Amino acid sequence: MDIKFQIPAADDFLTAALGITVVMATLALIAVFILLISKIIRIIEGKAKKAEADTKPAPAPAGVPMPSGMNNGEVDLIGVDEKTAAVIMAIVSQQSEIPLNRLSFKSIKLIDDGKKGGEA
Amino acid sequence: MEVLYETLLLLSWKQVVMWVIGGLLIYLAISKEMEPTLLLPMGFGAILVNLPLSGAIEVIDILFDIGIEHGELFPLILFIGIGAMIDFEPLLTNPKLMFFGAAAQFGIFFTLCAASFFGFEINDAASIAIIGAADGPTSIFVAKALDSNYLAAIMVAAYSYMALVPIVQPPIIKLCTTKAERKIRMTYSGKTVSKRTKILFPIVITAIVGLVAPDAVALIGFLMFGNLIRECGVLNSLSETAQKVLANLITIFLGITIAARMTANEFLRVETGIIMGLGLVAFIVDTFGGVMLAKIMNLFLKNKINPMIGAAGISAFPMSARVVHKLGLEEDNQNFLLMHSIGVNVSGQVASVIAGGLILAFFS
Repeated sequence: MDIKFQIPAADDFLTAALGITVVMATLALIAVFILLISKIIRIIEGKAKKAEADTKPAPAPAGVPMPSGMNNGEVDLIGVDEKTAAVIMAIVSQQSEIPLNRLSFKSIKLIDDGKKGGEA
Repeated sequence: MEVLYETLLLLSWKQVVMWVIGGLLIYLAISKEMEPTLLLPMGFGAILVNLPLSGAIEVIDILFDIGIEHGELFPLILFIGIGAMIDFEPLLTNPKLMFFGAAAQFGIFFTLCAASFFGFEINDAASIAIIGAADGPTSIFVAKALDSNYLAAIMVAAYSYMALVPIVQPPIIKLCTTKAERKIRMTYSGKTVSKRTKILFPIVITAIVGLVAPDAVALIGFLMFGNLIRECGVLNSLSETAQKVLANLITIFLGITIAARMTANEFLRVETGIIMGLGLVAFIVDTFGGVMLAKIMNLFLKNKINPMIGAAGISAFPMSARVVHKLGLEEDNQNFLLMHSIGVNVSGQVASVIAGGLILAFFS
C-alpha cells in the first residue's frame, strides 16, 4: 500500500456520525426495555405474592418493623459507654450504607492490649 | 549439518525481527502479566511460523482455516464463554449506564475517519476502526468478514491494547477530569433484579440487536446464549464448562492460530505500524468519549456521576472497570466505584458488539 494522506470523504464522516447515533439509539432502546421488563415483572411477582398471601391463613402478627433510625436487639457493651456505642453503630451504618434497623450488633468491645473488639 | 546450513541460509532478518516481536509478547505476558492467555500463545506462534522451512505453518494454517477463515468459529465460540462469565446485574439495576457504553465506542467511528485519512481502503479502514471496540473476538470477526488485508496487525493491536488498558487509560482519564470530579462519591443502591429479568435480558437484547444490526446477530447471539446458560439456573455444569473449559480451550487455539498471519512478510509492513498507532488513537478517543459524556450528564443531574466511570465503557472486561475503581481509591480511599464501573463495562461489551454489527452492515 502506498501511504497517501487523503481527506476522508464526506461519506466517511456521515457513516461515523450515523454509526455512533445508531449505537446510542439502540442502547437507549435496550435501557427502556430493561426498565419496562423490570417493572412488568415486579408487578407480576407482586401480584403473585399478594394472591399467595391472600390464600394463606394470616400469620401470627409479627413485630412492628423498627424505625429506620433504630437498631434491633441488645448489644453487649464492654468497656464502652452507650453514647460511644451509638456513635459507632451510626458510623458503621453510614459507611456500609445499610440502614441501622437492618443491622444487628452483638457486642462492642474496647480494644485492649491489641485484642480485637466489636462484632456486627 | 547440511540441513543446518540450509536453514540458516534461508533465514532472513525479517524473521529474526519476528522472533524478537514474539519474544517481546512472551515477555509482556509472563513478566508484566498483560493478557497472558493470548499474548503468550501469539508470541510463541510468531516464533513458530517464522522459522525457515517451518513445518508448523501447515498445521497452524489448518487451524486458521477451521477456526477463523470459515465462519469465524473461534471468536464466536469464545463469546459463549465470555457471556457465561458476565453478570449483567449491575447494568440491569441501573440501565442509564448503557449510554456510557455507547459513548465509549466513539473511538471506533473517529478511527474510521482517521484510517481513511491514511489512505486505507474502506474495508480495511473499518476493520482497523473496530480495534476501538476493545474486544478481541469482535475485532477478529469484523476484520475477517470484511476480508481485511491486515488481519494479523489488527488482532495483535486489539489484544495488545486490551492488555495495556491499565497503562493507556489512567493518563487520559486524569487529563479529562479534575481532582474534585475524581473524588465524586456514588452511592450504591444495592438493588437486585429478579431471576426472570436476568433470563429475559439476553433474549430481549438478541432480538433488539438482531432487528437493528442483523450482521451482529452471530456475535450478540453467542454472547447472550452464554449468558442465558449462566442465568437460567438449571444448567450450572454447562455454565461452568463454558466459563472455564470452553473459554480456555478456544483461547489456547485462538492465540496460536492468530500467529498464522504473523509471518514476517505479512506482518512487517509500514501499515502494521500505522495500524498500531490508529489502535492506540481508538482507545484514547474511546476513553475520552466515555468520560466526556459523564461530564455532560453531570450538567443536568442532581446526583453527580463520577466521570471516571465513563471510561469503563470500552469493553475490555473487567480490566477497564478495575482501572477506574483503582483510580477512585487513589483519590479517596473510601470511594468505591467498582459496582458502577462494572455496570458501565458490561454495557460497553454490548455496545461494542452492536458497533461491530453496524460496521459490518455499512461496509460488507
